[in-house]
Formats: sequence, structure tokens, C-alpha cells
Amino acid sequence: MKRKKTVLLGIAAVTLSACFCAVAILGFDFRGPRTEPIDPWIVAAEALGTQNIISAIYLNVRLFDTIIEVLVFAIAALGVRYYLTARGRRREADAIPESRVVRVAADVLLPPIVLLGIYIVLHGHLSPGGGFAGGVIAGTGLLLAAIALGTETVRSRISSSVLEWVEWAVLCGIIVLAVVPVTLSRPALANPIGPGTMGRLLSGGTTLLYSMLIGVKVFVGSWVIVRRFIDHRGEI
Amino acid sequence: MDAINGVTISIILFGIGFVGLVLRRDLVVKLLALGLINSAEILCLVSLVSRDSGAPPILGLAPTAQLVDPLPHAIVLSAIVINFAILALALVFVMLLVERYHTIDSARIERETATEEETWN
Repeated sequence: MKRKKTVLLGIAAVTLSACFCAVAILGFDFRGPRTEPIDPWIVAAEALGTQNIISAIYLNVRLFDTIIEVLVFAIAALGVRYYLTARGRRREADAIPESRVVRVAADVLLPPIVLLGIYIVLHGHLSPGGGFAGGVIAGTGLLLAAIALGTETVRSRISSSVLEWVEWAVLCGIIVLAVVPVTLSRPALANPIGPGTMGRLLSGGTTLLYSMLIGVKVFVGSWVIVRRFIDHRGEI
Repeated sequence: MDAINGVTISIILFGIGFVGLVLRRDLVVKLLALGLINSAEILCLVSLVSRDSGAPPILGLAPTAQLVDPLPHAIVLSAIVINFAILALALVFVMLLVERYHTIDSARIERETATEEETWN
């Protein structure tokens, strides 16, 4: 009975997928030129002075969308922190000694990884990247350090309570920065700093500011989530 | 008109992930399947606007007629972060369930919650 249901569900899924695939093959022409109009986005990017059209969209046109998204990320980090703290540390797992290769490689790779993260955050308005990608890269760099140096070392060097305060302070900063122009009856999409010269590092006005704040927020948030899991287990 | 393009691959990946999400009883495998579905969605959105002669949507890189539509990329940016948050939170809930019931088998967890409700009533 159960097997029959499984087989039926499998057949239904395969049929449905085949139908969608047929639509996808017949309906889309990937060879031809672009047919969607993107003029509004180009106008917005040029008015803002950002070379990267995507960052002009998600840090200017859809700014409040992005802020809610950062809020969702913060709430998820809060949930992880709440539930794992309530359970406490279960047991002290035996530390698995890392091989020499991993430790040396982590020592060599950590500075370039963090530097790459900072570079991607700062160049979010010029090239692919931005606050989210750069923050996650730097946070993963810290995870690498935790693997190589041992969690105790990293935990003693980085004050996690300060980091959690930084996380919420940055979140409040982003919200205030976006909401204040609205309450002062200025359009939220206005760019008080000015576009600057397109293609230079100091261009794009508020885009760079938001990018940096989001970068710090994601860096701290991802490290907080990872650190809670590490704490819970006792060792990576 | 290629049979193998990003959209068809993403539909197949979505099917694999969906079947895994529904049929597998292991909670961790369910989460992995959810991650696969997320990746399939991202691949679908990005490849929907890809063109053979397209260029990344960065001004000055190519004539504006060649730039691809940047809107799906901006949506995907949100999707990636939310996926990470959802998976982390779901993993914590799986850990809570494992601590209480000492199993990651969803059918066994359902049976045990059913017997618990009976003992309460």
C-alpha cells in the first residue's frame, strides 16, 4: 500500500517535471537578444552613480525589501541563539586534532580571505558582490580560523557579547538611515551624498554606506550562528 | 531551443529535492533536499534571463542592449540569505527534536508524539 503510493507520487512528479521541462524548452529562447525592458534600472543606476545595476536595485529601489530581509536574517540568528542557549552545552566532545596541513593552510589563507571579503563589500557598487557576499566570505574565514586554531582560542580572542551588540546596533543603524528621510518627508530614494564619478570607489552615495553596514551585519550574524553551533557541540 | 539549459536542469533538481523532501524519513536528509530545492530555484531565476550574447548587468562593461535583466539577480540575492537563515533555524529545531526523541526518523517522531497525546488524554 505504502509502496504503491510512493510509486504513484514518483510517477506524478516525473510527469509534472517533464511537462515543465517541455514548456521551458519550447517557451524560452536563450539564443536571441534580451526582450525584457531594463531602461528603468539603468536610469536608476545612473542617477545613483553605481556601476552595478543590481546593487542600485536592491540598495535603492527595493531598499525596504532588503531591510526586511536583513531583519529576517537577524531574527533567524536570534532564534538559533535562543534555542541553543536554552539547551546549554551538551557535552565536551573530544577535540579532534587537526592535521598540520589544515593548520598551516588556514594560517596562510585567513588574511587573504578576510581581505577578499572586505574588498567585495567595498566594491559592491562597482562589481559583482556587495554586503551579503562579502560578509559571508569574511565570516567563513573566521570559521576556518576556528577549525585551525581551535574554538577555545578564537572564542577567547573574540568577545561574542560585544559582537551580538554590534549586530543589533548595525541593524538599528540601517533602519534609522532608511526611515529618517521618510519621516522628514523627503523621498527615501533620494541620495543625499550625491552620485560622484561613476566607476570610482567613492561613488554611488548611500549605496556604499548600506553595503558596508550590511556587510558588517552579515559577517557578525553568520559568525554568531556558526559559533552557537560550535558552542553547543563543544568542538567543530 | 536547447534541451539542456539552466531552466530544465533546475526543474529536474527541483523534482529530486521535492521527492526527497516528501518521501525520505530522515529529517537531516529532508533539510538537504530543501537546500537542493533552494539551489534549483536560484539556478532557474538566474538562467531565465541568461542570453547567449548577454553581458553581466554592469554599466560600461558592454553596450546596454547586451546587458541581461538585473531584476532576478537582485531577487536571488535575497533568496540566498533567507535560505541560509531558514536552514540554520530548521537545523536547530531538528537538534531539539533529536534531544527529545533520540531519533531523526520523522515517522517515529510522529508515532511518539501520538502516544504522548494519548497519555495526556
